[in-house]
Amino acid sequence: MAGLELLSDQGYRLDGRKATELRKVQARMGVFAQADGSAYLEQGNTKALAVVYGPHEMRGSRSRTLHDRAVINCQYSMATFSTAERKRRPHGDRKSTEMSLHLKQTFEAAVMTQLYPRSQIDIYVKILQSDGGNYSVCVNAATLAVIDAGIPMRDYVCACTVGFVDETPLADLCYAEESGGVSSLALALLPRGGQIALLQMDARLHQDHLETLIDAAMTACKGVSKVLDEVVRQHLQEVSVLTRE
Amino acid sequence: MIKTERILHLKSCRGRKVRVVREHYVRERVPCFSALCQADCDNDGKVLPGDLTHYVVPDVGVVVDYLEILEFRELQGIVFTQTACQAVQHSKGRRQYNRLRNLLKDPRHDCVLFANEFQEYSYCPREKGESQEKWQTRCVYSAAVWYHNHLAGMMDIVMITEDQDAVAQFSSLSSGVYVVSVQDYLSNFWMELHAAHELYNSISQALEEKESEGTEKEYTEHLPSEILEAGIKSGRYIQGVLNVNKHRAQQEALITTQASSNKNTGTFTAALRDVLVYGGKNRNRAVHGDVVVVELLPKSEWRGKVTSLTERQGDEKTGEDEKSKPMPTGYVVGILQRNWRDYVVTFPPREATQSQSRNSQRILAIPWDPRIPKIRISTQQADALQDHRVVVRIDSWESTSLYPNGHSVRVLGRAGELETEIQTILIENFIHVPPFSEAQLKEMPVNSPEKPWKVHPSQVASRRDLRGTHLVFSIDPRGCEDVDDTLSVRTLDGGKLLELGVHIADVTHFVPEGSLTDLEARSRATTYYLADRRYDMLPAVLSADLCSLLGGVDRYAMSVLWELDAHTLEVTKVWYGRTLIRSSYQLHYELAQALLNREDTEVPELAPLSPEEKDAKLAELTQALEMLTHVARHLRAQRDRGGALELEGVEVRAQLDAEKNITALVPRQPLEVHETVAECMIYANHWVARKIQKTFPHQALLRHHPPPRQEFFSQLVDSAKARGFTINTSSNKALADSLDRAVDPEDPLVNRMLRMMATQAMSQALYFSTGAQSQEQYYHYGLALDHYTHFTSPIRRYADMIVHRLLTAAVDLDKGLSPAVALATNKELEETTQHINNKNRAAQRAQKLSIELFQCLYFKERDPQTDPSCVADAAIYAIRDNGVLVFVPQYGVKGPVYLKNRDGEVVTVGQDGRCEWKTGSVKRYSEHISTTCSSGTSTFTLFDHITVRISVQPSRCHADSLNLEIISNKPHKSAESQQPHSQGRSQLVQEVVRQAEEASQQAQERASRGPRLSKEEREFCQSKTPNLYSLLEEIRELALMDVGAAANVCASKTESRLNTDWSSSNRHLKNLS
Repeated sequence: MAGLELLSDQGYRLDGRKATELRKVQARMGVFAQADGSAYLEQGNTKALAVVYGPHEMRGSRSRTLHDRAVINCQYSMATFSTAERKRRPHGDRKSTEMSLHLKQTFEAAVMTQLYPRSQIDIYVKILQSDGGNYSVCVNAATLAVIDAGIPMRDYVCACTVGFVDETPLADLCYAEESGGVSSLALALLPRGGQIALLQMDARLHQDHLETLIDAAMTACKGVSKVLDEVVRQHLQEVSVLTRE
Repeated sequence: MIKTERILHLKSCRGRKVRVVREHYVRERVPCFSALCQADCDNDGKVLPGDLTHYVVPDVGVVVDYLEILEFRELQGIVFTQTACQAVQHSKGRRQYNRLRNLLKDPRHDCVLFANEFQEYSYCPREKGESQEKWQTRCVYSAAVWYHNHLAGMMDIVMITEDQDAVAQFSSLSSGVYVVSVQDYLSNFWMELHAAHELYNSISQALEEKESEGTEKEYTEHLPSEILEAGIKSGRYIQGVLNVNKHRAQQEALITTQASSNKNTGTFTAALRDVLVYGGKNRNRAVHGDVVVVELLPKSEWRGKVTSLTERQGDEKTGEDEKSKPMPTGYVVGILQRNWRDYVVTFPPREATQSQSRNSQRILAIPWDPRIPKIRISTQQADALQDHRVVVRIDSWESTSLYPNGHSVRVLGRAGELETEIQTILIENFIHVPPFSEAQLKEMPVNSPEKPWKVHPSQVASRRDLRGTHLVFSIDPRGCEDVDDTLSVRTLDGGKLLELGVHIADVTHFVPEGSLTDLEARSRATTYYLADRRYDMLPAVLSADLCSLLGGVDRYAMSVLWELDAHTLEVTKVWYGRTLIRSSYQLHYELAQALLNREDTEVPELAPLSPEEKDAKLAELTQALEMLTHVARHLRAQRDRGGALELEGVEVRAQLDAEKNITALVPRQPLEVHETVAECMIYANHWVARKIQKTFPHQALLRHHPPPRQEFFSQLVDSAKARGFTINTSSNKALADSLDRAVDPEDPLVNRMLRMMATQAMSQALYFSTGAQSQEQYYHYGLALDHYTHFTSPIRRYADMIVHRLLTAAVDLDKGLSPAVALATNKELEETTQHINNKNRAAQRAQKLSIELFQCLYFKERDPQTDPSCVADAAIYAIRDNGVLVFVPQYGVKGPVYLKNRDGEVVTVGQDGRCEWKTGSVKRYSEHISTTCSSGTSTFTLFDHITVRISVQPSRCHADSLNLEIISNKPHKSAESQQPHSQGRSQLVQEVVRQAEEASQQAQERASRGPRLSKEEREFCQSKTPNLYSLLEEIRELALMDVGAAANVCASKTESRLNTDWSSSNRHLKNLS
């Protein structure tokens, strides 16, 4: 069997999207009462649950305490049922650890940690169903959860993956595209100022194409941010209606 | 957009079944690509016309199995569904899928792709328990219904399917879509398209056969591609192209490994370039040309290649043959890519078929190309097709089957007829030359007596007008009609400067890039010249009229104008651009030379003028010619210093009467003016190459001629040593000089044969894109120029058209304009050059084959025992284990002469030189071969002259071949052999054509269609090189043809371009000397 054609001559991708179209994003904030903040986010078939605790006192080893700002602690995990074949180890493997680190870096750039010296913010993200773009879905879900927890941030952090096929950047890759040998790039953006919180690329790509790829990723992130903004406003409206009564 | 989900069941890498959920987005607006669209679909690109009677929506099964029928250009308005395309991709692999994609891209085919699965209303999700086939059919049907509704019922939609249930199920639904089977569709709508009907029958039979396959394994299974790829990476397997030995097709095949794979695996495979695959089992169903993967056998099983001559018809000798030293031997473990094409096969006569197959409908047909295995075909027309040549395609080759399965595509005709054989040659070389279609001809400008073509005023403004300022003239062979180059020369600035101009027909003005004519020209890539006809690259209205720079009419041209210093002849300025010219004189070579020699001649253009005017004009013209000659001599000398090869040679030219029949053959005097014109053309090519290379350093089309590999010269050097000559091959100049010295005063043939060997050692000149090669590789060995391209014959070469476009873009850039259309990138250009190179090679092969065909037809009519023309003088040019290779100058035939036959008898020479067969042995030495038997020993040395008898070895399935038999070891002493042989070939071709015509007339009486050669075809009967030998040699080495650019000028165009090329390469050979 020949390799899959990721972008057809007519400009359709495997799942019927055009090159710049995002997957459908659906989200809900405040899904758990127990935690300080929580959110559930679906981006296509990738589904993630994010929970935020804090800011609270340092737990565990106090030596990690920072005197001028809060420590951000991230943990990423995937449900055993999240992939097509059941996963053996839900968290703690190398990939998850790496992902946790990336999330931490991203949110250190976005959360105004200096407001909470000597404290700790915990962000737990769990992938319930995985269909590509895990990192970006986690970032988007965690953003909503942080907002839900009422922790001030500089801006929304929106993330998106882009791939490069046939000289065309494809926004928001799904699993089939990611595994089809596309050189992909993940970007987390603070959309209002256009600052990049994190940029990650493991594949080889010609230097000439990098610019276009980053541009495409930024546009995609801005698209995501609009959706997230909508969700937040919607949520606030609902909450304010409830509280008024 | 609406998001849905589809559930797929796939296999995981460990072989387990996995349930995968994929998203699926559908949308309301998906372009329909129909001109009738009411909903303003975003239709860009190819659009189905609205004036058809119906649109066809083929079902998945039809697209997968019967794609070839849908490829008929007559079938219009085909809507391919995405479902079908994906099915092709999954079930038939990349090759077939690419074929479908090309079909969809090709503007000449009236078909579009509809993304039905992404359309909200035409998408139907697969239901639980529904089989894939049913679901696909339902999808296609729903797409057809969508089309019907989308076009508001204005167009009838026909869905064709092979699924009878579907016909029954859907045709009862009254949705406005007709559902019919393929057969009904063809017979209702395309009654007259018989080819399609036949093709349909043959494919469906092949499919039926496939189902009833046996299960006994004949071959080992191929390994899956993942294992192959891993194996290649690790160096365990070797990847390469399978090359079957022509003479031992059953046994020997070589795998030519690619250079790239050598690089990866380092020294191990670099050392073994070629791998031998011995025997059919080891070859494991690979066919000549496939990309295969081999694994090496242990060293103890390695074998060598057989070097002795084999009788062509003979059975394979086994075992006792002398072997060369063992070489790497392996067996095929898998096939990466099939390179199956259309094959010409011959159906065996009746009795043979009955004996070999249990089912009389299955026929083992024998391909024309001996390297291809027999192909099993099932047909009901076996009786009708006996001894006919038929085009077939291979469908599959299962491991259970000894031979591949195929189906017939179309019938060419009875084997042995001229027309059939020529078609065979064309198909075997992938040459596809249908008549120009109406749509293509519609694009052409009109030039008829009622509506004469005129120069467009806007063009006059944008072009440089040379009509008033320059004296433009053309020098061509007598009677030439298509003039694609003209010259001009004048003094400037009071005699301080000279201006030399070369003006080439502006073909690209009439053929815009991407037009239908352009696509056709690109796919043809060159004009094809066969022995008795030619196939033009461009329609005749361009090639013979509007692009021909005739005398006295206004024509568009692309010009290169040099300003030279009058004394040093240094170039001070070069101007490139589009011009408007009017050629004042259409000279021919003899006339030009006569003017140069100040002989008293009559120029036809000046005839009506008064004597004083005439003298003035004549003086002007003569002066221009002299200037031109002066400049050309200088250019020549410049190139000679760089080591260029000398151009000289004797050509023969045919004199034509009014009816274009050849009346006489006149040996062409090697006039200086030939060289002058050639030099100007080389100069123009060179400067254009410099210009486009400078402006587009990564995407210019140039032509290079790589230096030959020294090891190829070994035969030449060794043979020359046998005669006491030394050949220095260190550089092009040294080679030319030493070949010049190697002249045996008693036997002029020696020098010719040495040149022949030198030519064989040469590599081919090739087109390339500058981005794909490093700068050192631009060098042209034959012409000793650092940049070279083809610019001067856009009428007959597509490469020249590309160069014209590049030059136009370069000139536009200089003016600050950006080119209207984006130029081809390096990658695209490189692909195009590959294509052109391949086509050129195919053209050469076809030419060679057609000439061999004519030779055979000529000798077929003669009785070898009685006819004196079948006995000829031959010279030995190579020694083999059981015979010698000889060359017959009179007919230009090369071939083997056996000194030992299958019964173990050898040739012995009697008292008077007569040869007899007696029992004995043969011993081979480096420079001679000797036979020993009871009556004595006879020796044959290199370059000896012997007498041979030529007869035709008839072959039913393959091309006939000539058989040479030694009858004496003395030179053939006939008086005729001394006469100029130039006539031999023209007579030969004419004779054969005449015979074929007679035969065809008889055949027509028998109510069969026979070849009819029109006057035009006769026109190109050609015959003008000194003899067949040079002809064959030249054809092989058209590579050297850069000279051909020049040659082109000198060549007799009306007669045939081919001729040009021969003569040019002929001259080239001479130069080597």
